[in-house]
Amino acid sequence: MGVLKPEAKGRGRGKEIMEHLTRGSPLNRRTYLICRTVRSGQRYKYPGNVVVVGDVHPGGEIIASGHVIVMGNLMGMVHAGAEGDERAVVIAFSFQPLQLRIAGYVSRSPDGEKRKKKLYFREPEIARVENEEIIIEKYSLGGNKDGFKGSRRYQEEEEKNG
Amino acid sequence: MGEAIVITSGKGGVGKTTSVANIGAGLAGYGKKVVLVDTDIGLRNLDVVMGLENRIVYDILDVVEGRCRLRQALIKDKRLEQLFLLPANQTKDKTAISRQQMVELIQQLKEEFDYVLIDCPAGIEMGFKNAVAGADKAIVVTTPEIAAVRDADRIIGLLEAAEMEPPRLIINRVRPDMVKRGDMMDVEDMLEILAIDLLGVVPEDEFIVISTNRGEPAVLDGHSRAGQAYRNISRRLLGEEVPFLNWDSNNGFMAKLRRFLGLG
Repeated sequence: MGVLKPEAKGRGRGKEIMEHLTRGSPLNRRTYLICRTVRSGQRYKYPGNVVVVGDVHPGGEIIASGHVIVMGNLMGMVHAGAEGDERAVVIAFSFQPLQLRIAGYVSRSPDGEKRKKKLYFREPEIARVENEEIIIEKYSLGGNKDGFKGSRRYQEEEEKNG
Repeated sequence: MGEAIVITSGKGGVGKTTSVANIGAGLAGYGKKVVLVDTDIGLRNLDVVMGLENRIVYDILDVVEGRCRLRQALIKDKRLEQLFLLPANQTKDKTAISRQQMVELIQQLKEEFDYVLIDCPAGIEMGFKNAVAGADKAIVVTTPEIAAVRDADRIIGLLEAAEMEPPRLIINRVRPDMVKRGDMMDVEDMLEILAIDLLGVVPEDEFIVISTNRGEPAVLDGHSRAGQAYRNISRRLLGEEVPFLNWDSNNGFMAKLRRFLGLG
């Protein structure tokens, strides 16, 4: 991650996110790379970070004790920080998970929202835990601050899933 | 003590899951406490048809393997207070659950609910045997096609061999216009072959596709013909005498007009 240092101009949220990502332990863990589409019924569980180069389809599951990064459409279920690490984040190029879990927090997709057709034209987003809930916002490294005004809040199903 | 009913067909794609969703919603709509159990491990669908996919945290395997309490795995429907879903697991296969575990689970559910509707996987292997194991009654779903009727016949035979009380039949996706032309088996033909009691006839209805995609059972829609048929099936299950609808004579504007003019 050292290569991806935020730009010096970064007074924006990008720098904050980078700090958030590098603070604490998750990044020191090993990272597993999945270079394929994760389809319904497939489940990857890894004690570390997971990077998916491909899509996660509805019914597919990624469970990681660290961060999860999806270089594609995230439509299935992701559980980051599965061993209780609330600093874990989920980043995806296109964010439409059925359900998202970080540590003990669970949030689900809003009901009745139609799936957007043009998945690939959506912007990358990042999910993390802030003030005891999962928030999802636009993701841009060293980007301008304006982009982060409209953070999208998913419905909180239950606070703790235990 | 409630009643456990398995909905099965042998052949795939004849409408088991749709029937479970609609009958369940129908019964819950008439005030019964209902739980739908998806036993199609590895190919779960009922949660999608019910529009509850995004709420799944625990599934049937977590319950039988003791990773969570039964209460935690039950998902309450978003529209009906009295309707619950126990979803299947998607990552394992049918061998992940044993017959004994299923029987115990259904028994536990029967204590709390008026109706336990079990969505059976296609086929006659382990998944089918498990689904049937805990059930008191069975409903066989078929469509007016020879292959589906043949498979239904096989299933009825297996159910009888399991010493279950004779199943009741739902004939799905009937097209009255084709039956009238003689291009499709009619209800009497099928009853003659299968020789079991008829529970309901569900006409082909585009709205089923729409409602399935939306994740809302058709039975909740007042205008859907299939929804009406499923409402009637629910009432018959509750013990009411509901006459079978005669689709080809009372349907359509021209037929109504003809009747109005005294020509029908």
